[in-house]
Amino acid sequence: MNLFRFALNNLQRRPARTSLTVSAIALGIAAVVALTSIAWGFEASWQKANDARGTDLIVTRAASENTMPSPFRAEKVQQVLAALPHVKEVVGLLSEMLTVSDDAPPVFVFGWVYSSYLWEHLKLVEGRWPNASAEPVVVIGALAAEMLHKKTGDQVEIEGKSFQVVGIFESNAVVENGALLMTLEQAQQVTDKPGKVNVLNIKVDANTTEADLRNIKEQVKMTLPGFVAITSGELVSQNAVVRISKAMSNATILIAGLVGALVVFNTMLMSINERTREIGILLALGWQRGTIMKLVISESVILSLLGGLVGILVGVGIAWGLEHIELMRGKIDAIFSIPFFLEVQALSIVLGICGGFYPAFKASRLLPSSALRQE
Amino acid sequence: MSTDPHILPNNLSSARLPILRIEGLTLHFDGGQTKALNGVDLDVCEGEFVAIVGASGSGKSSLLNVIGTLDIPSSGELFFGAQPYSKIKDTSLFRRENIGFVFQSFNLISTLSALDNVIVPTIGCAGSDHEHKARAESLLIELGLRERMAHFPGKLSGGERQRVAIARALINRPRMVLADEPTGSLDSDNAIQVLDLLTGIVKQQGLTLVMVTHDASVSARADRVVRMRDGKIALPVGAYGDTPELIGGAP
Ligand SMILES: Nc1ncnc2c1ncn2[C@@H]1O[C@H](COP(=O)(O)OP(=O)(O)OP(=O)(O)O)[C@@H](O)[C@H]1O
Ligand SMILES: [Mg+2]
Repeated sequence: MNLFRFALNNLQRRPARTSLTVSAIALGIAAVVALTSIAWGFEASWQKANDARGTDLIVTRAASENTMPSPFRAEKVQQVLAALPHVKEVVGLLSEMLTVSDDAPPVFVFGWVYSSYLWEHLKLVEGRWPNASAEPVVVIGALAAEMLHKKTGDQVEIEGKSFQVVGIFESNAVVENGALLMTLEQAQQVTDKPGKVNVLNIKVDANTTEADLRNIKEQVKMTLPGFVAITSGELVSQNAVVRISKAMSNATILIAGLVGALVVFNTMLMSINERTREIGILLALGWQRGTIMKLVISESVILSLLGGLVGILVGVGIAWGLEHIELMRGKIDAIFSIPFFLEVQALSIVLGICGGFYPAFKASRLLPSSALRQE
Repeated sequence: MSTDPHILPNNLSSARLPILRIEGLTLHFDGGQTKALNGVDLDVCEGEFVAIVGASGSGKSSLLNVIGTLDIPSSGELFFGAQPYSKIKDTSLFRRENIGFVFQSFNLISTLSALDNVIVPTIGCAGSDHEHKARAESLLIELGLRERMAHFPGKLSGGERQRVAIARALINRPRMVLADEPTGSLDSDNAIQVLDLLTGIVKQQGLTLVMVTHDASVSARADRVVRMRDGKIALPVGAYGDTPELIGGAP
């Protein structure tokens, strides 16, 4: 028998109230976990896609805030970039979200410069790669193949034009796994954007330093007005969708924290009012006021930690579910990590302490003789 | 505040030192309208068993509460040994170190076993859980509850519950036990058994016992009987049950 077991025992006395309180906290925490993991996952999966390609710098329109920056004519910019020191390869990339099947949600269609370094990180699991820049064929990600029910040899219709699936690939970026891929030339043709790209990817040579990269960024800013050269991390964190979803997840953390603290506050206040006489007995038996406080705070924190634990499980379930509904498949990749869960539990502890503080204080201030007279 | 410590003569041998000295104690409620205690002077010696008797509403419980630092006196002073109550900074600590309470209505925690109930006062004290448990067990065994330790209060008889409460009062090794009608809810057989056990342990350990009672057969066992009337000590009465007029207070 110790303080912790006594606190647990007190909570077990009112199983219905305890589980209701835990559920209310869990709901808030679940929302936090689901939203935050998706917001971060969204950011990370795009960054992962860029990083996996081996791209060092991305050049886009300066004002772009969409996931895929608005297209621009590549030729002149490309020439300027190619002339910069340390720049080894400059390749264009076009990306569109298109409907390719009536019974599947829209998917990403990427157009990459034929035989550029971009293709190197992909793993072909079936079929072959396109044989020429002008060949009207696609290779599709494993996840896209599953979602569209396509295999090598099948036809897909993109913007009214038929393409043959010649291969299926795998990538460790979920965004690419859920996408269709063709040569840039084909993509420009089918989307009616001849000569245009969304971004230019720069690969630098092996002996490039951080300072050299900064220098390239500077040069782009000066010689190409309206364009920026940024890292993939910078591109993604400037993205409007990423920023909105992060703001939403922050708001959810605030709301869940406040609601959780209020629920604990209400429950513990009710609980100590019911137990006034018992608190009087404890005081008569020589309990320190500090021990009473510790007891009530312990009960509050046990409630909030339980709520946090259930909330994490439910939140992971929600995020997993969202990831796997057809509409979202291949577009988000929720991130869960032990540090993240620890942070969520830290939030739970804080809301438990905040909610339990006043009830604990009130209980510890009771006058023993009048507390004993209750009932 | 009383300045004369010799108001109340008492017939105690000089070898026994007062552990408790009460001087001019008053306790008022409702802004002075209710005078629960209205000038109490009393000395209690170390190891003494004092019974407090008196009509309902005469202030017995109030006196016990003030002695046990559960209530703060309106005026007057108490001394525990040489320590004036008005100088006690932490009354909880004072209670924990010096006072054991036994109530008429047992006041056990219904969701804890007999053993855990006895351990409750040790929560927040120095010493390991294991030490506290061992002491609680030995007290319960001493009180004849070896077979009842794991039982919950709802499964215990009144006498057994009060014995658990006595073990709980003793767990922190108090110097003084304050009991407010500890046999008031028990039938006479159980009352006698509980009283025997309580007085036995108290005498054996040399503790001081102040007990409020309505029961003449209980007060008859006390070293001294103090009668209260209207918030005051009525008359210093002799010991050993030579005061049959007290029986009138029995329930
Ligand atoms: N908190 C309080 N507020 C107001 N009056 C009180 C309070 N506590 C006690 N009293 C009053 O003080 C007087 C003494 O009460 P106390 O409980 O000490 O009597 P008692 O001798 O223990 O009686 P009983 O034998 O019925 O237990 C009573 O008139 C009671 O109503
Ligand atoms: Mg009383």
